[in-house]
Amino acid sequence: MMKWAQIAFIVRRVLKSFREVFWTHLLTSGTMAVTLFIFGGFLLIQENLQGLLKGWGSRIQIFAYLETSVPAADTESLLARVNSYPEIERSRFVSQKEAWDGFKRSLGSQSGVLEGLSAEILPASLEITLKTAYRSHGALAEVVKRLRAEKGIGEVEYPEEWMEKFGLVLLGVQWAQWVLGGFLFAATLLIIGNTVKLAILARKDEIEIMQLVGARRLLIKAPFVLEGMVQGLLGAGLAVLCLWQLFVSLTSQLPASLGILAERAQLQFLAPDSLLLLVGLGWVMGTLGSLLSLRRFLKRW
Amino acid sequence: MVHLFTVSKIYPPSYPALTDIQLDIEKGEFVFLSGPSGAGKTTLLKLLFREEEATDGQVVVNGRNVARLSNKGVARLRQEIGLVFQDFRLLARLTALDNVALAAEVVGMARRESRRKAFHLLRELGLKDRHNAKPPALSGGEQQRVAIARALVNDPLLVLADEPTGNLDPEMADETMRLFAQMHQRGTTVVVATHNTGLLERFHHRVVLLQQGRVAGGRKECPAGV
Repeated sequence: MMKWAQIAFIVRRVLKSFREVFWTHLLTSGTMAVTLFIFGGFLLIQENLQGLLKGWGSRIQIFAYLETSVPAADTESLLARVNSYPEIERSRFVSQKEAWDGFKRSLGSQSGVLEGLSAEILPASLEITLKTAYRSHGALAEVVKRLRAEKGIGEVEYPEEWMEKFGLVLLGVQWAQWVLGGFLFAATLLIIGNTVKLAILARKDEIEIMQLVGARRLLIKAPFVLEGMVQGLLGAGLAVLCLWQLFVSLTSQLPASLGILAERAQLQFLAPDSLLLLVGLGWVMGTLGSLLSLRRFLKRW
Repeated sequence: MVHLFTVSKIYPPSYPALTDIQLDIEKGEFVFLSGPSGAGKTTLLKLLFREEEATDGQVVVNGRNVARLSNKGVARLRQEIGLVFQDFRLLARLTALDNVALAAEVVGMARRESRRKAFHLLRELGLKDRHNAKPPALSGGEQQRVAIARALVNDPLLVLADEPTGNLDPEMADETMRLFAQMHQRGTTVVVATHNTGLLERFHHRVVLLQQGRVAGGRKECPAGV
């Protein structure tokens, strides 16, 4: 068990180290901040794309056209079955007449071209909206597959190509975030490891004396690990600050409406759990970098 | 206090530093480890505070088999041992007071108490007015006294000194030896490794003579003038 005097000793050593080699610590924190900034940037893009997708979700609908031969009683039970799908938020039955009226309305002044035709030429349909959690390309395709297998449903339409492309963009962002983030993470660990190595070498004589007079390994290691943690947290704080600045300055330059894409108000800064992830990553990077370096260099003595 | 049972130490690839050492040092004894350079004096001391491990045999210090100690056990063992080196091993950027206090702080003594004790020791060793000086500003003798104060600050049961007078003039060397004698009189076990035969003639403690890594003789403690 560590005594209070030893804890105070560790804290004093950390503070002293930050005073004595301030710029080295700042540089290491800065390096971590760059890594976390890039990772956080991708996270921000990904979150906003997902946010947009959810926003558009109410407009992403599946149209299931009923076969003309389906009797009215069967339509009821079909609607009940479809409504029981866990993915479905709501579905609306559009009768042939409703579809015909809507079609005529959409033609406006040119609706005269429909003269002589009857409402029976358009099939009745189900307009289906999915729950927010299922508004992805994969989930959509799965629901469509099940709808196509339903008796009484003929054709099923949904914005397949568009959803596929959007899904690919989202996947690309996610991959870039983790691959690039992974490389940067490894590179940053190396940098932190080297900073700690330099710190250990700079204090080699002190560490040797401490070992010779009976200091426990924990007491020798703890200040370096604590320094790594503080550097990591500082780096994360710096990254979040820069991301916020960038987000604010970019969004303030956008027009209030982005046309069919979104409203400016729909763009959001990182969610609390993403912020926690960034801070946690900074903490892990700092701690891990120090521990790995200590394992390598303290063994020798 | 110290028992070595047929201890050998071979440095890689195959350099025998110590061979079949059998040695007992009782609590409160003062022992000189003597012999020419390369005889194995430093290696023997290093085995006692587990800086090195014996290749063969057993080393027991204060009832503990040092080979079986965990990291924590080694730390605890070293807290009971005061170490003094020929090159003093003081931290140049710390004052004399801080050098001594550091040794007490790392084993858990409160900062104020460790500084108070360090100052008390430095005053006893005649460095009252030099406690704020850093090692480069101190003479060899003063530095060695700071190192001795550091060795004593945790009230060790055993003091190991490796050529403590090697860098000192004869007068300062004798002064340093008198400090070790004072520790001995207070009941501390003292082991001093030296190749300085003059010291052995002037201070009449037990001598263990090492030659080529083996115990090659010695003398029992004898009263002055014998």
